[in-house]
Amino acid sequence: MSRRGLGFRAGQHILLGKAGSIHNREYSVYSGEQEDFFEVLIKEVDEGLVSKQLKKSKAGDLMQIEGPLGFFTIEPELIEKGKFLFVATGTGIAPFHSFVKSYPSIDYTLLHGVRYAEEAYEKSSYNHDRHILCTSGDNQGNFNGRVTAYLTKNPVSPDTHCYLCGNFQMIHEVFDLLEKQGVPPENVHAEVYF
Amino acid sequence: MKYHLISLGCQMNLSDTERVKTVLHELGFSPTENENEASILGVIACSVRQKAIDKVYSRIAKWNKLKNRKNLITFVSGCILPSDNERFLKLFDLVFPMSELPQLPEMIRQYGVVSPAGLLQNDDSLHKEAYTPAKKENGSVLFQDFVTFQKPSQPKLNPGKDIDQFWHVEPTYTSDFEAFIPIQNGCDKFCSFCAVPYTRGREVSRPSHEIIEELKVLVEKGYKTITLLGQNVNSYGLDKKGDEIGFAELLRQIGEFGNSTQQEFWVYFTSPHPRDMTDEVIEVISQYKCLGKQIHLPVQSGDDKVLMRMNRKHAMDKYRHIVQTIRKLIPEATLFTDIIVGFTGETEEQFENTRLAMEEFKYNMAYIAQYSVRPGAASSRWEDDIPQEVKKERLHKLTQELMKHSLQYNKALVGKTVRVIVRGRDRKEGFLSGHTEGKLVIRFASDDQSLIGQFVDLKINSASPLSLEGKLVHVEATAD
Repeated sequence: MSRRGLGFRAGQHILLGKAGSIHNREYSVYSGEQEDFFEVLIKEVDEGLVSKQLKKSKAGDLMQIEGPLGFFTIEPELIEKGKFLFVATGTGIAPFHSFVKSYPSIDYTLLHGVRYAEEAYEKSSYNHDRHILCTSGDNQGNFNGRVTAYLTKNPVSPDTHCYLCGNFQMIHEVFDLLEKQGVPPENVHAEVYF
Repeated sequence: MKYHLISLGCQMNLSDTERVKTVLHELGFSPTENENEASILGVIACSVRQKAIDKVYSRIAKWNKLKNRKNLITFVSGCILPSDNERFLKLFDLVFPMSELPQLPEMIRQYGVVSPAGLLQNDDSLHKEAYTPAKKENGSVLFQDFVTFQKPSQPKLNPGKDIDQFWHVEPTYTSDFEAFIPIQNGCDKFCSFCAVPYTRGREVSRPSHEIIEELKVLVEKGYKTITLLGQNVNSYGLDKKGDEIGFAELLRQIGEFGNSTQQEFWVYFTSPHPRDMTDEVIEVISQYKCLGKQIHLPVQSGDDKVLMRMNRKHAMDKYRHIVQTIRKLIPEATLFTDIIVGFTGETEEQFENTRLAMEEFKYNMAYIAQYSVRPGAASSRWEDDIPQEVKKERLHKLTQELMKHSLQYNKALVGKTVRVIVRGRDRKEGFLSGHTEGKLVIRFASDDQSLIGQFVDLKINSASPLSLEGKLVHVEATAD
């Protein structure tokens, strides 16, 4: 989408729908703060309404956007000095893509949980040492198993700032693991996808 | 001619209703409790709860039958989801967002029903444009059409966007000693159980000078308690990105005005969100006499994971810090909260964390709700998987916990003399009822109705879990 001056902080989301429709949904911004275009990552939901409407969009169609909204952002003073763990399932990778594009020097590890390796999104956007594709349905990723299994085998240090985005089952399980590993709750930030 | 108005939902809707009344009064209509004698029938609706929406459908079905025997107009406004808005268009004559209330007189005139409004001279240039209201198949009109004329009729995606003009309507206050002042409309928090961001739109802060002015006028008129209203009052000003003062400064300015006047009054606010509650707000409350020492701080759940699922954007440690700061800076403050039990997926262990939170924070009052799916809210896409009996049991357990702490607190007040605003007759014959500065309900023996709306001093002689009983020791001579 053309950005048309819309400012946002990486991690924020928008309400997006087709112009003239009363229906919209929340989508995290996928693109970076400095990019002159605007991207979101949309998964077509089988029984969904908005995702199907949006899929039919053609170049030139008008969209209705509200926002940016939300608080799933990184404090500016932490960006350069903090150590970050990003954990995503499915399209929950969107805000992390925006973080990485917006803050190229950020010290991060990204765990992306999908069923099959082919479900990964734009792996090339990430430093391959920092991006760990966890695949539960095949062994074509960097780790065969769920993100929770990876974290169990590779615990994080308690001073890590952890950002979780995706379905709430994953978020709850990862939250418990991080708690056991000594990460204080205030260092855990979550964006639940519905 | 008369109007009949039904207001559903929260204090925001009650406050909005006060402004709707002003507009109808200015059109020459007077209120009636009897809908059969009204020419205008309106609902200030609430899409946030299914029960409230069910009530709207039940009323409009009845009102549309009344139309068979008399000429009348029906309208609906308030907190409405876009999907309900679409349905209402087929049922009501007029459907408009609250932000367009100032145009209601024009809408009524255009509708063409014989009424005091219809007989008024129409001077507004807007009205002179040749325009035939684009009625829907059943004759209903979406008011947005009137102001935009050529625009296709559609509900607003951000219904609070043009709220400024609404705030300029002077309210018809329901009480002559307690009032609400809306300071903000809409919500940006998107708690997963709540539909308000979809019904009221984004957070918009009312200009602070208007708020202070309205408050000064109320105080000069002798109002004793004033409540600042908003979905997230303590995020006041944030939407203006530096062009407006913040909530702490707003309170400070109110406090300074309180210090400068001889009038006695208490100012409250509801509801704050823990995420935006700052130490500065608490400090300011502690510094000024007129800022009521009662804080309503919704916790919703005492479990970090449930808070995440609720999309509350804070952990319990943050909440704990706020309460500790309140206890340190305002030890006399009472603490109220809101809690939802049986939220989707809430385990026994997670519920137990909420019970422990109640034990820890020792609330004076808690509005405890069993979770129910609110259409339009994000959580409505999840299965409501906690059985009703479990929710009931959890509600009961928390209520017991609340009663225990409240009784303990109230008992410690016995023998003390407290300042009380008298609010009305008590259910108990021969008693009046009011509340303390901390909003603790208290009653005392008196038939003197002239005390209603006045401050009195009561010596507390008995305590119950959620109320007190006292004896009148002093009535302040008031300036008004």
